[in-house]
Order: sequence, then C-alpha cells, then structure tokens
Amino acid sequence: MTLLTVRKITRTFGEKETAVHALQDVSFDVEAGTMVALVGRSGSGKTTLLNVIGGLDRPDTGTVHVDGVEVTALDEDGLSLLRREKVSYVFQTFGLIPVLSAAENVGAPLRLARTPAAERERRVALLLDLVGLGDHAGQRPGELSGGQQQRVAIARALAASPRLLIADEPTGQLDADTGRSVMALLRGVVESEGVTALISTHDPIMMALADRVIRINDGRITE
Amino acid sequence: MKLPSPRWPSLRRPVLHWPVLHWPVLHWPSIRGRARADAGPLVLTAVVVAVVSALAGAVPSLLRSTADEAVRDAVRRAGSNADVTVTARWEPDDGETGRIRMPRLAEDVTALRERALNELGGGLRAALLPPVAGVITPTLKVTDGSVLRTLRLGYLSRDGGPAVTWLTGGEPGPTEEGFPEVAPSGPPWTVSIGLSETAAAAFDAEPGDHIPVADEKGNPKDVVVSGVFRPADPADPAWRLAPWLLEPVTGADGLGSTRFGGLLSAASLPDARLAFGPDDTKRTVWFSPDPDVLTWESADRIAATAVTLKATSASSSSFDTASTWNTQLDAVLRDVREQVNAASAQASVLLIAVLTVAVLVLLLAAGLVVHRRTPALAVARQRGTGLPVLAIELVIESATVALFAAGIGLAFARTLVSQSVSGNGPQPSFGVAALVAVVPVVLAAVMAAPVLAVIAAARATRDRRAPANRSARRRVARTAQMRRVAGELAVFAVVAAAFAALHQRGVQPGAAVWLPAAAPTLGVLAGALIVLRLAPVGAGFALRWAVRSTRPLAVFGASRVAETAGRVLPLVTMVVAAGLPVFAFTVAGTVEAGLRDGAWRTVGAEARLDLAPDSLASPELVRRIAGQRGVSHVVAGQVIDGARIVAEEVTVSPRLVIVDARAFRELLEDTPLPDGGALAGLESSASPSASASAPATASASALPTLFPDKSEMSDEGSSVPALVLSADGGMRVGMKLQLLRDDAPAVALTAIGTAPAIGGAPDVVLVDANALATAGMTAEPDTIWATGPGAAQAITTSGVAGDAVIRTEILRERHDAPLVSGLLRLAWASAVVMLALGLLGFTLSAAATAPDRWQTLTRLRTIGLRPRDARRVATAELLPLAAVAALAGPALGLGLAWQTLGPLALRLLTGQSADPAAHLPWPALIVVSTSFLVVALAVAPAESALRRRQHLSEVLRVGT
Repeated sequence: MTLLTVRKITRTFGEKETAVHALQDVSFDVEAGTMVALVGRSGSGKTTLLNVIGGLDRPDTGTVHVDGVEVTALDEDGLSLLRREKVSYVFQTFGLIPVLSAAENVGAPLRLARTPAAERERRVALLLDLVGLGDHAGQRPGELSGGQQQRVAIARALAASPRLLIADEPTGQLDADTGRSVMALLRGVVESEGVTALISTHDPIMMALADRVIRINDGRITE
Repeated sequence: MKLPSPRWPSLRRPVLHWPVLHWPVLHWPSIRGRARADAGPLVLTAVVVAVVSALAGAVPSLLRSTADEAVRDAVRRAGSNADVTVTARWEPDDGETGRIRMPRLAEDVTALRERALNELGGGLRAALLPPVAGVITPTLKVTDGSVLRTLRLGYLSRDGGPAVTWLTGGEPGPTEEGFPEVAPSGPPWTVSIGLSETAAAAFDAEPGDHIPVADEKGNPKDVVVSGVFRPADPADPAWRLAPWLLEPVTGADGLGSTRFGGLLSAASLPDARLAFGPDDTKRTVWFSPDPDVLTWESADRIAATAVTLKATSASSSSFDTASTWNTQLDAVLRDVREQVNAASAQASVLLIAVLTVAVLVLLLAAGLVVHRRTPALAVARQRGTGLPVLAIELVIESATVALFAAGIGLAFARTLVSQSVSGNGPQPSFGVAALVAVVPVVLAAVMAAPVLAVIAAARATRDRRAPANRSARRRVARTAQMRRVAGELAVFAVVAAAFAALHQRGVQPGAAVWLPAAAPTLGVLAGALIVLRLAPVGAGFALRWAVRSTRPLAVFGASRVAETAGRVLPLVTMVVAAGLPVFAFTVAGTVEAGLRDGAWRTVGAEARLDLAPDSLASPELVRRIAGQRGVSHVVAGQVIDGARIVAEEVTVSPRLVIVDARAFRELLEDTPLPDGGALAGLESSASPSASASAPATASASALPTLFPDKSEMSDEGSSVPALVLSADGGMRVGMKLQLLRDDAPAVALTAIGTAPAIGGAPDVVLVDANALATAGMTAEPDTIWATGPGAAQAITTSGVAGDAVIRTEILRERHDAPLVSGLLRLAWASAVVMLALGLLGFTLSAAATAPDRWQTLTRLRTIGLRPRDARRVATAELLPLAAVAALAGPALGLGLAWQTLGPLALRLLTGQSADPAAHLPWPALIVVSTSFLVVALAVAPAESALRRRQHLSEVLRVGT
C-alpha cells in the first residue's frame, strides 16, 4: 500500500539570474511501513524535499499525497492537523523545550491532540521505555546527553502515532556511536510501530539499515 | 612584470623586541555594515537620547527661568508689602513760646532720599526703582455734615515729579514766609493744598475755598484750596503711594467712607507740619522693587541686604533723626526661596526618574543590538579581530548616534527654553547644568552597546566551559548567587541611605542633593529587585499548574514564561518604567488636589468677605448676600488675629473665631472641608434658646447669635466650650483656657474638640458666638463666609468696603503661579515620557526575545500547533511581564509617593498648612496599567504578521 506519493514537484528559490532550482520534477512513491533513506550531497535538495512532503514548505508545482491526503492543497490549519495526526519530524537539533522534562516534551503532541491525561501518561511512559529513557522521564533536556535528547525527540515524534516520520539528518550532531544507536532505534521503531520513515542522511550505516535508498542530485531523483 | 616573492615563515629563532604599540586598524566597512543592518534599533536609540536630552536639557534652564519668574511674581503680588521704606523724624521745631515754621522741609525730604540711596548699597539699589520721597499726614474727617468723607494731605517728590498741570488757581504757597513762631494755643494754622479735578468736583471747591476738616479728636484744621490740578502722567509710580490724591478711594477709612487727598507743595509742606502735632508727620522714602530686574540669583543677596539694613537701622521709637528702615521684601523673598527650593527638589526627583528610565531603556536597546550581532561578532573574533578593535569600532558607531541625537535634543531644548521666556525678563542661560543633565543618557547610549558587545564577543570565543565536577559547578553557582545577593544588598543599602537623607533633611540645594532626590527612583528600583526575586517562583508555580492543566496551550506559554522570568533587565525596566510614571502622576495629582484643598482652606467657603477695619457685618448686609441667587449658606463671624489666650500659664496668640456654631457647621458641610463635625459639640453646649432660634434658612441662620439680644447675656463667669487647633500642641483638647480682654475680665474657655483650619491659620480657637455672649462678650462680626454657586458673585457685588476673597480666584492664581504651573507641566511631561519609554522598552524586550520565542513556536508548529495558537502562546509569554509591570509598578509608585511626598514639601506650593495626602489620579493609573497590557496584546500579532512570509522551513533552517 502506498503511503506517500510525490508527483512532479518543483521548487525554485530566488528569481531570474539568482534562481536556484532546489527541486526539479521530482516524483516517487513510498510504501507504508518502510524505512527510506534520502541520500545526496549537501545542497542537493534533500531538506527541501522533506519540507515539501511534511507541509513545512510549498512547492511551485506538483502534488504530494500522504495517506490519501493531498498535502499541497491544504491550508495552514489543514497542515497543522496533518502534522498533528499523520506526519511528524525529528530534527538535527532535537527541538526540545528546555524547561519541560523529557516526559512533558514527549507528551506535547498529545496535549495538542487533547489526549486525556491518563492515556497521555501511559503513552509517554511507553515511548520513553521504547527509546530507553524510562529512568530519565523527569530530567530536563539540559540534563541529558545529545543522544538522549535525540531519543526524546524521536519519542516525541512517535507520540501521536504518525503515519509518516520525517527525520532530517537525525544523527548530524551526534558522535558515531550515539548516531548508530539512534539509527538502530529508528529502525526498531519502524518495525515495532509500523511507521513509515523518510530519513535524509549521509551515513552509509543508515543507508544499509534502510529498506530503500532514494538518491537526489541537483534537485533531481537519480535512483 | 615582476611578481613579489612569497614571504615564508622564518625558521630562525625569533629575536625578542620590546613590544611596539600599534594604533588599531579599524575596519570601516564592518562599522558601516553593522550600522546598516541594525538601523532600526540604532534609530530608536537615537530617538530615546534625543527626547530625553531635550527634556533633561530643558529642565535646568526652565527651572532657573521659572525661579526668576517666581521671584518677580511674588514681588508683584506682594505689592506695597515688598516696598523698602525709610523714615526719619524732623528736626525739632521747638521755639521759645511755641513751634517755629521750618521753611526748608522739602530739602530735608530730599536729603533723606539722598541719604537712603547712599545707605542702600549697590546691589539692592540696582533692584529697586527710583525712590519716591514724601510726607503723608494723618487722616482728617470732613465735617460738612455729609456722608463720611476723609481727607489726607500728601507731599510727593520723585526726580522732579510727579508733574501736574494747574487748571485753575496755582500751586499751594506758604501761609507765611520766614520762620514765624506759632503759639500752641492759637487758631489752627492754615495749610494750602491742591485738589484733583474729581476731588474739587466732589467738594464743589474752587481756589480760595476752605474745606471744613477736623482730626480724630475733633480739633478743626484750616485747609484752603490753592488750585485744581491734573496729573501730567497718572501712571507715574509716585501716585501709587497715594492714589487718593488723584481719585477718591472708598472704604479706606472704614465702612462707607471715602478718602480724598490734598496735594502739598514744597512751599506748603512746612505749614502742614505746623498744622499737626510735632511727631504726627514723618519724612518717608519709598523704594519699590523692580520685578523685571529681579532674578533668583539676586534674590538671596537682596534679602540679605534688606535684613542688614533693618538690623542696623534706628528703632522706630527713637527720637533722633536717624533713618529707620522697614520692608517685608526679605520675608517675601524668603518665602519664594522656600518655594523655589521645594520646586527644585521636586523637579530633581522627576528628572532623576526620567533619566533612570531612559538609561534602562537604552540598556535594553543595547541588549537587543548585541543580541542581533552576537553571531557576527563571534565570527569577527574567530577571524582575528581583537576585542579593543571591536570596542573602538562599536564606540565610534554608538558615539556618533548618541552625540548626534543629544545635539538635536539639546538644540530643541534650547529653542524650547528661549520660546518659553515671556516678557522683558532676562533670557535664561543654557549652560553647564543642561549639559550635565544629559550626561547619564549620553554615557549610557555610548557605552552600553560596546561594553555588552565586547562581553558577548569575549564569551563567544572564550574557551571556558562549565566544570565537569558537580560540586565545582555548585560552587560556581553559589559564587554567582553570592555576588548577586551582595549587589542587591548594596542597592538596598543605598536606598536606605537615600530614604534616611530624604526624611531627615529633605531635598535641600547643595552638592549632595542627588541622594535624597533619587530616593523615589531607588525605592522603585529596590521594589523591582524584590519582584525580580519573586518572578521565577511565580513562573515555577504557573508552570506546575500548566503541566497539570487540561488546557493544551497553557504548558507551552508557561514554559516560555519560566524560561524568560529570570531575565533581569526587562523586568526591572518594566517595573521601574510603570512605577515612576505613576509616581509622577501622583505628584501632579497631589499638587492639583492640594491646590483645591488649599484654596478651600484659605477661604473657608466658596467666597469670603473681610470687611474693612471699623466696619461691621450688619444684619441687613448678611440678609442681602443670603438673598442672592445661588447662595446656599451665609455665616457672619468675627475673626481676631493674635488674640491673647492663656493656656496652662503660657500665653499664645491664636486666631480667635467667633461664629454661630450650628450655622458654621452647616456651611462647612456644604464644602469639602473636614472637621465640621466637631462644631456639633459647641451647638449642644449652646443655650437652648439660641439653638432653637437658629432658623434653617441660610440668610437668617447667622443672625440671632451674631446679633444677640442683650437679655440673653447672662451666666457670666462660666466656662465657654471652644474648639482648638494648635500647630505646636500648645493648646490641646481638655485644656482650660483664658481669653484675655483689655477692659474686661478674662473669659474662661474649655477646649472640647479640634477646630477646623480657618484661613490657613496654624493656631485657631473657635467659640460659639451665643455661648460667648452668655459669658459676657459680644461678637462684632467682621467676616462673612458664603457657599453656593452664586456666592462669589454675591460677595463681589455686596457693595461694602472690604476684601472679597473668592475661592476660584485663589485657586486660579495659585495654579497659574510660575512654580506650580511649571512643576505640573514637568510632572505630566515626565510621566508621559517615562510611560512612552517604558512601552518602547517593552517592545525592545519583546524584540530581543522574539527569535527564541518564534523558534520554539515554529518547533511546536511542526508537531501540530496552529498559527493562531502560536500567537496565543506568544501572547501568553509576553503578558506576564506586562502584568507584573501593570500591577507591581503602579503599586510601587503609589507606595513610594506615600512615603516620599511629605519631605518634598508640596504644601509650599499648594498653599496648605500641612503636607497634602498623596492623591492619585485614577484615570492615569488605569492608563499606565492598561497600556502595558495593550502593548503586550499587540506585540504577538505584530510579530506573527512580520513572520507571515517566512516558511516554517526557513525558520527551522536558520534556527539550526
């Protein structure tokens, strides 16, 4: 079953002589429950593509469908609902709220979804156990290591049971060992939660863990 | 072309040289680029510096010119009370059998004038108009059987004036030439006088006619008219001393009287002396101050000279011809000096408040600039730019902005000052004081951004990390905490010292004026530090509540608040910038309320009529005033200043007020004046017949007791209840008093309550007229109080001799007085400027935290936060700071006003006898509080609108 359908996406930054064609006629499909690695050099258009798919950016032309929803046709509220229910992100810089504990950070999407407190606490505990931070629930991001923070970010991304997990260089700020453990975690999450993951990376290990690798070069899919 | 060969690093051992200091090489493109990039905050900085420089630069000069104007105004208001007079007796004219006519008296008058001019000294002489010398005789009654008319004879001499034109007849001549000796038992000596046209018409007199007059003992005088004159210049200052020489003056010698004047000449002056007793006439020289040349600086010197002259002059009871100096000018100048000192103190307090808020806002602006520049500065450091070079580059930028803006502000201030000076007064100097006042602002604008930027750049490239050891980290944290506590304790110590100085010695002019003058500002600052300590605690509570809350957005807003609650500068600035405008508004409100209260206390009613000496408030007059439209209450009473009262064997001299207690209480209840209730105690103690006879209507209520039936006077010797008011506690409730009288036994009084202030007198004894009549002392009413919208009109048009004192006129005069109006303008302007600066500071603070705020909100949007919810969370982050400013600031401002307005002596400007209670204009408080909340509510949508064009992806990319 196809979860993600990308058709003829183009995205250009700037105008005329200074125009940069970040994405040119990009089309591909991703099956549900697979882990896809998006690979390319810096500036090849990986992040732009992820942003367009997640509704953080709008393409000049083309369409994106996630779980049957046409992302490119949604308004701001629709995109917010999409990100709340179907698509979630893991950033290179974690993006945690510093004054909230790990558990409260993980529970943030559930709050937005108005999940009852008891169910929220149960789900948060489950996810923190899943990422191996069950004992660190009360700690704030500043009291956690970089790898632990990224695990919290992954748990947060999974909190609302999204259909599509988008991770933009999730190991970019981690050392090699920590990066590997995070990658293994992502692989495990895809299998255990049945999530579809689209991960941009330079890391060959991550590519090896992926079900499929999509290469992008100068804004074009070269797979 | 030969290319230069590359320079390879030498591998040889380096040779040691003495260090050579090189002038740092500045990178001008960086300076220009930074300025362009941060043009907005720099322009805001410039605007703040310009506005505050204009205000701070104008205040010292305006204060000086206002002080000058206040001195001139006080002297003008004092009128003849400010005149400097010198009197001297004549040489004895005793002969062998009588008195000898001395034909050269006019020369003696001139000699006295010359002597007085010599004794004056240069300083005082420069401040006085050319003197007028002359002789004025006692009052004579015209005995033609008509209405009461009086006549005074006067001789005036002033540099050849005042000139007159003789219409008929001629100048008065001598009755007899030479030195004839006049026997004391002979007929009245004839005196020739000139009459003005009006006087001649009134007397129907022509040259050669005799005017029948007699002195107060009934001895007839022989006054003959020599001619009728017309003044060459009726506005000649000489006539001011004896205006009745030109036009008759009504009421000057009692109710219904009209005073006329007879002009003496140098030739008839000797005859006038002979016509009266040997010491009935004196030579007098009048000096009137010239208000236009008086200045605040010269006032002290002139007052000192006047005091010296009075102290060294002869006693008025001496029998030689030495000159005796008299003037109230020193008292007038002393009063105005106290007022100017008070106004200066109040202005200093306001100016320090404005400068403090401005400096805090400039620090916020500098913080914003540095926040924006930190990445660029870090890169510059990493590329090898030295901190000194960075500092110099940044100082060049900030100094250019600050000095340019300060120049504009000062130029505006100078224009403002020059335009504000009206009349012929000297232009105020615009000098060092104005420049000194703007120094703190310019210094802050020049130094804040460079210092903060250098610190930020140093930190960005400093290889100094937090220690890995937990106990070491705790030690570092403890050290920082101790440092902060020490700083706060230092601030509190300074605040305590400022308050002690303010309450012990007030704000007196001098070198150490800044400490007590800064007390209100420092007090608000200390309060802000306490709020700063409480803020994280409050934010923590809010966060814990939000975490438990079912509201999804609460936790995000609370988390941002918890992140930013500990920031020192924004919170301190907001609290101070909200508190000090409230303080300034309270100063203005208290002055306004004090002026109203002072006017009520001065008059005691809506209008008061102080009847001329020897005049009485007749029942007909009271009825006539009470019958006027719009008059609600009228009370007649007797006011005796300096009554002799023995209180516990000590004689005091209070103002004795004798009124119908019930009528006066009803009148006071028709005014905002307090203390009317105590009068009920006098009513109950009054005789039943008097109380019962008091009708309800205003017109009659005053009459039965003020004009009592003689048959009611009985029970002499019993103690009369009285209300007392004593500034020094010399008379207290419960004391037995004795009212001394010249030709009658003393009246025993018992103080049963506190008297209301009557006309601002510090010591008052008030008794019921009926009770006093019962004790054998009949009141002779000489004062009429009236209330109601028509009272002023009724009193003014009463048609009797006396001074009409109208409350609204008193209020307008005091309100328009230079010092009061100047202080009010300064208080309002300061409050508005501080509030505007506070709101600007809030915006700057919001701008400084906006990147972090929207970074967080953008991340939250990636997990499904809607745009409108993002605005709500942003507002929730900004509102607590605004709410703290809106609540804590005004509370501190009010509290400080309550604590500090007393020592600032506002009563000297409001005309009250006691310090006015702090009065807050509530609309101003609401404006201050709501303006911060409104700005907070407006900032989040504005920030959101500014970021509308940014895609989430751009923000996240920049953020990473």
